[in-house]
Amino acid sequence: MAAVQAKSISCPNCGGPVQLRGFAHTLSVVCPQCLTVLDASTPQVQILQTFQAKQRVNPTIPLGSRGKIGDTQYEVIGFQVRGVSQGDEAYSWNEYLLFNPYKGFRYLTEYNGHWNFVHVESALPEKSRSGGKVSMHYEGMTYLAFDAMTADTVYVLGEFPWRVRVGDSASCEDFIAPPFMLSSESTSGETTWSRAEYMTGSQVWQAFRLPGSPPPVYGIFANQPSPYGGNVGSSWRTWLWLNVALAGLIFLFMFLSPGRVAFSDHYAYSQGVKSDSAFVTPTFALDGRNSNVELSIHTDLDNNWAYFNFALINDQTGQTFDFAREVSYYHDSDGSDGSRNNNVIIPSVPSGQYYLRVEPEMEPGSPYVRYELELRRNVPNYGFFGVAALLLLIPPVLSTFRKHSFEAARWRESDYAPTSSSDGGDD
Amino acid sequence: MNAPVFLIYGVLLLGLTGVAEYKGWSWNRINQQRVLPKSIRDNPGAYRSSYGGYSRYIGGK
Repeated sequence: MAAVQAKSISCPNCGGPVQLRGFAHTLSVVCPQCLTVLDASTPQVQILQTFQAKQRVNPTIPLGSRGKIGDTQYEVIGFQVRGVSQGDEAYSWNEYLLFNPYKGFRYLTEYNGHWNFVHVESALPEKSRSGGKVSMHYEGMTYLAFDAMTADTVYVLGEFPWRVRVGDSASCEDFIAPPFMLSSESTSGETTWSRAEYMTGSQVWQAFRLPGSPPPVYGIFANQPSPYGGNVGSSWRTWLWLNVALAGLIFLFMFLSPGRVAFSDHYAYSQGVKSDSAFVTPTFALDGRNSNVELSIHTDLDNNWAYFNFALINDQTGQTFDFAREVSYYHDSDGSDGSRNNNVIIPSVPSGQYYLRVEPEMEPGSPYVRYELELRRNVPNYGFFGVAALLLLIPPVLSTFRKHSFEAARWRESDYAPTSSSDGGDD
Repeated sequence: MNAPVFLIYGVLLLGLTGVAEYKGWSWNRINQQRVLPKSIRDNPGAYRSSYGGYSRYIGGK
């Protein structure tokens, strides 16, 4: 915006200079010295209202500041504080009036560090219902009813295109479609609709090139966009593709690890027969890459247990893999417990000629048990795939949970909160 | 976790799963890996398993 000389008048109350930046649009202006509200619509400036503010409020963005929002440069020409008092709760927010000679007026509102860039709309939204909630339909978007209040003007500074007065009151309703908010303000039969878009403090500070840092942010604002909104959909899409890749991996290892039988034989164990107590199998070949070996034990146990000490021994190097498994199976008329079978996967076994040392044990006095031992080379370990599938679920589930938590926190502040009967709508 | 980070996490996880499968890793604890004399083949009773001496009754309803 080109540098334009502001018009200046004298305050009829205190005689102090009062600048006019809105030119012919300005209908009222507040004297910065004595806070008298003046009627600037005629050359004979008249006093509209005198008010004694208990405390002067300094706008965070000084009057006269210029900033570029979008492609348009605006100048801050007015500032007002508006308050709501509902029961024992009271809160207020700040509104900055922005002016551009070609685009007209816009507003910048600030509450608890949350900012909104507001444009007064000329078209009327249509009332509708969405998901059982009252809503407004406007320019292809649906805005959900969020809250309703009566707002009073409690402090003014600068100039305004209407005859502003401290104590002005308006009924307001807010409808949200983050990051947008549609608001109505009604005063004596006249309703104005405006549409706001959420801005962060740093965006405002950057736009107006303000020194320091913006006010800290507290809570979640009505139309604050969820930082998790977009993440959830993309997380689940990524999860889907990763699961497709996981399925491909499973198929790949069904070919790479076919689980070829390297050794299989049947045995029987009877206590007291010395030759059964510890024996070794014939040698067998475990070929291919360093990979696992699965030993399966199938027994005919009946209300009994057996314990097997195993050692898988490399016939050439003597390298030994020492392990044991218990098999127990009990049953009665109430059901069964345990299993007649068990298995163990021995990890990373180098190729070579091997034999198995087997040493069964049973409860003294037990009848003999017949069992089969089967060794498979290169078996897919489906447990890893299962764990991978579970770990892949964590990020999208976490994103979904955080999104819902964010939305729940947002709607707790609403007059239309799902749990309004217990914790109430705040503002 | 945003999508690119999740994608990297997922690819690393699938890569680790692939390595675990290819190398034949297992959840099972195989405690002993020692080099034995060849005489064990002729005298299997001489071997002392680190899990031997199991006599505890576990099963039963």
